[in-house]
Amino acid sequence: METDRRTILRWLGKGSVFAAFIAQIGAAARAFFPNVLYEPPSTFKLERPEDYPQGYSFNSEHRLFVVRAANKFHVISAICTHLGCTVQWRGTEFDCPCHGSRFDANGNVIAGPAPRPLPWFEVSLSPDGLLEVDSAETVPQGSAFTTPTEKA
Amino acid sequence: MATSVQRWWHKLVWPWSPLSEREASEAIVRNLWLHWFPAKVSGRSMSWSYSLWLGTVAASLFVILTVTGVMLMFFYVPSTERAYGSIKDLQYAVSFGRILRNQHRWAAEGMVALVFIHMARVFFTGAYRGARVLNWLVGVALLLLTLMLSFTGYLLPWDQLAYWAITVGTNIASEAPVLGPTFKYLLLGGHFVGQQTLLRFYVLHVFFLPAVVWILFAYHMWRVRKDGGLAAIEPLRAMRRAEPKEMPRSKSYSLFGLTPGTSVAVMSSMGLEERDQVASSPNLTRRMILVFLVVFNITLLLSLLVNAPLEGPANPSVTPNPAKAPWYFVWLQELVASTTVHLGKVTISGGLVGGILVPGVLLAALILWPFFDRSTVSAEGVWFARERTRQNVVFAVITVAIIILIIVGMYLRGPYWRLYWPWSPRPVLPRVL
Repeated sequence: METDRRTILRWLGKGSVFAAFIAQIGAAARAFFPNVLYEPPSTFKLERPEDYPQGYSFNSEHRLFVVRAANKFHVISAICTHLGCTVQWRGTEFDCPCHGSRFDANGNVIAGPAPRPLPWFEVSLSPDGLLEVDSAETVPQGSAFTTPTEKA
Repeated sequence: MATSVQRWWHKLVWPWSPLSEREASEAIVRNLWLHWFPAKVSGRSMSWSYSLWLGTVAASLFVILTVTGVMLMFFYVPSTERAYGSIKDLQYAVSFGRILRNQHRWAAEGMVALVFIHMARVFFTGAYRGARVLNWLVGVALLLLTLMLSFTGYLLPWDQLAYWAITVGTNIASEAPVLGPTFKYLLLGGHFVGQQTLLRFYVLHVFFLPAVVWILFAYHMWRVRKDGGLAAIEPLRAMRRAEPKEMPRSKSYSLFGLTPGTSVAVMSSMGLEERDQVASSPNLTRRMILVFLVVFNITLLLSLLVNAPLEGPANPSVTPNPAKAPWYFVWLQELVASTTVHLGKVTISGGLVGGILVPGVLLAALILWPFFDRSTVSAEGVWFARERTRQNVVFAVITVAIIILIIVGMYLRGPYWRLYWPWSPRPVLPRVL
């Protein structure tokens, strides 16, 4: 095969046009992966600790439960680990309306298709005295945030 | 004047009532709408009892869906704030808007059913064999596209039904190994079902998927022609081929004057004879128009009698109890709800098993089936050929299993997805919030 300058240049020319075409398809596809999301931040503030009654309180905006026992607080996600429906607190356990998963009071799976327990989120107290939750940070079961005694 | 009107009228209608065989054939070739039909068609291909005209019914539904869908686009606003309101307007404020939406809805559900039933017909008549394998694969693709169209259309009303069906559906997609979460992110345009999701589903639903369906549908029809028409004529064709051909008598001049002899016998490319066939126009076209009109009227009647469901506006914090998928996906919901597997410490979610693996295996079976079918030509184009009994039983058992799962999901599942008999009382739950 003859590889003179003309052949090489011709292939370079055709190749670059084709490469530009492929790159443009890639760029078009990339546009569908958003860089900016208009979604609520994963860290958010709730009420003041003393505003919560003892027991389980559902927060519909953030889809989680704030659990208070004396002055200890923990937060359990209300999003079913199976396929993302909102679980309901039924006095002694969480039940999912979509596919019948059941979780105990700590979020462990008792029955149904859910593969994992409901995650616990990190809770802290913000400088302005509100409970602050970081839903990107899960903590092991049993962790709790204890409010300073003068607050509770 | 009168003659020019007559001439125009003739131009418009003459293919529909041809005066001669020749004119009928020419109509097919020359007419824009008719050229995709064969000039001649066998009685068996056209019979009601062989094909049940299921493909035409499905295609008619798709035409209805396209037309009503484009009309709905004039009223629908694909934004999370206004989508639900625009559907409410269609229900209550737009003249005949309710019928328009109902017809779109019932035609859509009908199309899912009919495309599947059409596929079942093709399977039971062994009509996917030989050269028709490619068209079977196109058909499987069209079934998938029909389901995707239903799925994307389901979100658009932006009611509770829509929101939770898509939340569950896209979470199933994210259970797929490796690329699942990326695919969910791409589909939703974020992490949750929101404005980006609505817009993406809207564009997929009103343009992208229908365009692909129209292209594949055209190809599907073209392949029917290229594959020699419906498989229904295969037994007849085989019979005609086996018959000894009688050579037409002819006379020719020889040295000794006129000599009787035989001439060449000409067979049509279809392998059929003149007496097996009739002109497509008007025999086939007339039936097609009839089928379309009947389908249209049934969907219209349904639309007058039954309203398309519309629940409260989408509320991300409250899941309806029970939250059910549309009937054609409820069997998958049954599967995802009951196929979580525990192997020692490892748990495999039902989303992966019932939502991806089981449907994936079924799809693979549909795609690969024709390549493992060992039946002979004599089982082609015949309903329930004895040779194919075992295959037909397998297909029927899977279909019945899916239907049972649909019935269980639709009628026996109550709050918290627990089982109840249709007549047993279901607990009245306090409204959450």
